[in-house]
Amino acid sequence: MSVTTADSAGALQTTVRKKPIQARYPGWFILPAAVIYSVLFLAPTVSSLYFSLTRWTLFDSVFIGFENFAQFFREPFLVQGLINTVIYAVVTSGMKVVIGMAFAVLLTSNIVARGYLRSVVFFPVLVSTVGVGITFTVLMHPTQGMINETLALFGIKGPGWLTNPSLALYSVALVDVWKGVGLATVIYIAGLVAIPRDYYEAARIDGATPWQNFWYVTLPLSRPATATVIILSFIGGLRTFDLIWAMTKGGPGFASDTVASVIYKQYQAGFYGLSTAGNVVLFVLIAVLVIPLTMILNRRRGHE
Amino acid sequence: MKKQLPLISGIAAITVSFFVFVIPFLFIIFMAFKDRRQAASRDFSWPEGFHLWENLVEVVTTRNWMMITAFVNSSILTVVSVTLLVVLAAMVGFVLARRDAKWNGPIEFLILAGLMIPPAVVPTIWLLQGLKLFGTLHGMILIEVAYNLPFSIILYRAFIATIPRELDEAAIIDGARPLDVFFRVILPLLWPVTVTNIVVQSVGIFNDFTNPLYYLPGANNATVQLTLYNFQSQFNTAYNLLFTNILLITIPPLLVFLFFNRQIVAGMTAGAVKG
Amino acid sequence: MAGLELNRLRKSYGAVEVIKGVDLSIMDGEFVVFVGPSGCGKSTLLRMIAGLEEITGGELKIGSLVVNEVEPRDRGIAMVFQSYALYPHMTVYDNVGFGLKLARAPKEERDRKIRDAARILQMEHLLDRKPSQLSGGQRQRVAIGRAIVRQPEVFLFDEPLSNLDAALRVDMRMELAKLHQDLGATMIYVTHDQVEAMTLADKIVVLNAGIVQQVGSPIELYQRPANLFVAGFIGSPKMNLLSGSVTAVDGDAVTISGKDMANVQLSADAEAFKVGDMVTLGIRPQRLHLSGSGALVGQVVLVERLGNETNVSVSLPSGANFLAVLDGDHVLQPGQVVTFDFATSDAVVFDVDGIARYAQA
Repeated sequence: MSVTTADSAGALQTTVRKKPIQARYPGWFILPAAVIYSVLFLAPTVSSLYFSLTRWTLFDSVFIGFENFAQFFREPFLVQGLINTVIYAVVTSGMKVVIGMAFAVLLTSNIVARGYLRSVVFFPVLVSTVGVGITFTVLMHPTQGMINETLALFGIKGPGWLTNPSLALYSVALVDVWKGVGLATVIYIAGLVAIPRDYYEAARIDGATPWQNFWYVTLPLSRPATATVIILSFIGGLRTFDLIWAMTKGGPGFASDTVASVIYKQYQAGFYGLSTAGNVVLFVLIAVLVIPLTMILNRRRGHE
Repeated sequence: MKKQLPLISGIAAITVSFFVFVIPFLFIIFMAFKDRRQAASRDFSWPEGFHLWENLVEVVTTRNWMMITAFVNSSILTVVSVTLLVVLAAMVGFVLARRDAKWNGPIEFLILAGLMIPPAVVPTIWLLQGLKLFGTLHGMILIEVAYNLPFSIILYRAFIATIPRELDEAAIIDGARPLDVFFRVILPLLWPVTVTNIVVQSVGIFNDFTNPLYYLPGANNATVQLTLYNFQSQFNTAYNLLFTNILLITIPPLLVFLFFNRQIVAGMTAGAVKG
Repeated sequence: MAGLELNRLRKSYGAVEVIKGVDLSIMDGEFVVFVGPSGCGKSTLLRMIAGLEEITGGELKIGSLVVNEVEPRDRGIAMVFQSYALYPHMTVYDNVGFGLKLARAPKEERDRKIRDAARILQMEHLLDRKPSQLSGGQRQRVAIGRAIVRQPEVFLFDEPLSNLDAALRVDMRMELAKLHQDLGATMIYVTHDQVEAMTLADKIVVLNAGIVQQVGSPIELYQRPANLFVAGFIGSPKMNLLSGSVTAVDGDAVTISGKDMANVQLSADAEAFKVGDMVTLGIRPQRLHLSGSGALVGQVVLVERLGNETNVSVSLPSGANFLAVLDGDHVLQPGQVVTFDFATSDAVVFDVDGIARYAQA
């Protein structure tokens, strides 16, 4: 009596060694992705740690220790870039949380034209950042821009949005919020929709006002969404380059430079070691700010 | 009174949203319709006459049909990168969701790192030069694949984790070999998340400006985003052409938005929540 | 056709052993049910037979061949999963025929076998549908159809009815029994439902914590449970268990006393006991009857009158609860003191280790 169906060669097949169960999910499946990722992302990232300690021409490098980093923290315009990066990330992610939440509450209520509003808020997320940057550069022109012309109709003299050094960074941040708040809204909507109706009904029976509803039900229960929005937009803010480059190129002067734009400028200027040091600084900055932030947000989340 | 509240707040919201979100786009469209003289004043006014077509012709033919080259480059970049991303990420997601190997932890760490860490630009250029890939379209494709893999893998892994393992086991008992399990049973079930991946990554790669700026210098390889950026200085006095250009590169995302709104929202929120 | 031989079969995940040396022989054509509480290892054992879990130690034979290292597809088995595991993107026809397709069976042969299986299961009209268009019972049929076309030596069922509603479960149970009769194949069936086990099995294997507690026919398990675990697991409502100690051993009669009973004399394996041993007395609720004088006296706590029978929950002097299922209708009030009696031949004595000690025949 054979194990397999009588007509196939059962005796032969029993000699086939069965591979371990795990081999049913072939490990080499991750190989192509692993090679591309390692060569083009991991290897440069790791080697940046070395090259940031050198004076580098791409052909040869001279080890100079921490001189690049020292320069980074010595030159005022580089330090300014560092501070700007943090300000930009805090401002954009803060505004995206507040406005995104407000939009989401509005757009999950039984407001008219909900579909239109959702589309209109979300569409800028998909549009080219460079295109948005150029458009708003034109709109924010101090004398001929539409924004200030509109303000002038009400007798208000609009500021030099992008030409005033103390304002330029915030103007770019504002455009960043305009473009990105749709994503925050959509994430919040997903979070709000997931809150069971029971909580609101229980709160209503307890006599909660709409404001109490928001404060005691919506806000705490949408904490996972808040964590996501903060972390996502914070990382995005720290890494921002394209919008700043399209709108101000870091100017006027160095007023709206961020680490990412400094990296590009130093690269263009041929200071490859310094540029790479900027990369390492950005990398460390993200790690130092985002990892604790993630831990705090997740701890609170577990607490609720 | 209570019934009217949604209506009143709705009208208020529509008005505000119109000024904040719609007018900038109308501005782009109006500008693209104007002639050079009217566009120069850069105000929000109704176009005098229809000049879109001549603007289009001029934008497209400028600098030796640069715009066409750019669209071709961007299309190749987007299509090939997304295809590779989908196949490779699905394979990784499958193994990651199914195997409980001890190196799953490190792999997941690397994936999260890829989502967070900004790429080290100059070392990458140095490496690409060494590989003779710097400034080439295939080099750029591989870069986009490397940078966007983590997000796609996370989407796939989360989706595959919802496919019951019993399905694999039923196939194994039916006589399926490992490749059969993946290609005949799992892959056909991944269609929804694949659509999401295609849509989200296409928009991202098509709109990518920073990476082509670094890794794809030179006019021959320009992408549409680079072209727009370069036109900014060239069309300094021709705002009608600049905005025609912006209008032109807004069309592909608009089409995606019209046809795949649901998938793109699902993908971005799912990926975001997992990330 | 093939029987199975399990020899000291073991399975561990790292340091955790989940199957602790199972010996079992299953005859060709037998319907064997693995039963036990969740986590007892019954599904793991089935999956080891299927080849879905590696065997850590011991030997598994299907027919005359050791199959420890054989791929599932070459073991001559087919399996029906709890969730059915139908391929959602394939029609019923393709679901049933997938295995044949993988084996590169000729198209005509494939078609014939699929239609044969469909006829046996009366689902010819479903062949063009997708699984999502089927009801639970229909999906179950397709899953069985997929097993049938493989013409296996051994059918494996992993809790196949647990996702069906109660009425459908009874129907499918009968169909499975009929299928077994018609095909005459060996079937191994995992369930935690003792009714399924009792009605379907030629042989029941009771498992707990990776160890076989008892193997036997359903009635054997009900009437002569080997230990406290089997006694508690088989039979509904559960067997009543009372603790006491041996006060006298005389020939093959043992006398037991405790807080709740005095001098109950019954026949048991007297050699296993000596005076003073702690024992447990087991008596099925259905074996009790009201009487003027009897071994058990308690206070009625709750009465459930079902018409044809009456369930009486009684609190005994020790505080232990005791359940009696009485034939016919009885009017009893909570708080009332009642006396129960039983035939001593219906009681089982378990020793201090929980092993049942029956009188030597």
